[in-house]
Amino acid sequence: MMEQEKELTKEQSLELITSMINKAKNDIFITGLSALLWGSVVIICSLVTYANYYLNWNILAYIWWLTAIAVVPQIVISIRESKEKKFKAREDDLYGGIWISYAIAIFLFSYLAAAHPIEQVAAIYLTLYGIPTFATGYGRRFKPMLIGGIACWVFAVLSLYTPYPYIMFLLAAGGLLAWFIPGLILRNRYLKAKRQNV
Amino acid sequence: MFKDLNPILHSQLRLAVVSLLITVKEAEFTYLREKTSATAGNLSVQINKLKEAGYIDVAKSFKDNYPRTVCKITPLGVQAFEEYVKDLQAYLNIKK
Repeated sequence: MMEQEKELTKEQSLELITSMINKAKNDIFITGLSALLWGSVVIICSLVTYANYYLNWNILAYIWWLTAIAVVPQIVISIRESKEKKFKAREDDLYGGIWISYAIAIFLFSYLAAAHPIEQVAAIYLTLYGIPTFATGYGRRFKPMLIGGIACWVFAVLSLYTPYPYIMFLLAAGGLLAWFIPGLILRNRYLKAKRQNV
Repeated sequence: MFKDLNPILHSQLRLAVVSLLITVKEAEFTYLREKTSATAGNLSVQINKLKEAGYIDVAKSFKDNYPRTVCKITPLGVQAFEEYVKDLQAYLNIKK
């Protein structure tokens, strides 16, 4: 336990500063739920779209509306996380800004693509998926997201040479590598850290 | 000639708190207590000393009906910390 007036040597002061800075730097509060949510949504929508190519059910043509509905649980997750969080990291606003601008870009693009059908739409979606994912992985030095971001861009190129409906497998793989798997890893880390603090 | 180390910062718990606050944007009292393993009483006294020196801002509010104290380093605190580290480096003869 730390005592308030303990006399410190110069070396101890420097050690204390280093250890506290490292403690705070390594303290990243991410529950992984948002990544799991969006990973699952993209995988489900892509695979259902693929299946519907053969099933041809009218109702399933609207499956991508699930991405709009998923905004509701995302808001709930964000509110709960901000309540649970005991500190705010300096870079939190930066990552928040990156993901918010991504969300705006993807919804704007979805609207544009619906109004003026674009060919190779999957390539543009995958390119967009890769941007915030790679930026987060790079900035936080979190390899799974870094790999996920790069994978999305590779899939974007592959999608140009992949016929429909198989292109849906590339979108699903993008969701899996960019968000679902990193989300699982983050969730495990979060739960492990939570158990240690109990 | 060596400068005297800042006595406000040259104390174990206060230095730990300022080192944490220099790294994060802001932190709750409970977070600082967890990281420093200090008792609530001790921490409270040292936070008040830092606040009186103008090194940190302390905002009190309520979260889910529980009191919540959020601490944030001030520009004066950042400056004092940087000078303290510089002085330490001079004592220890560390070259940048």
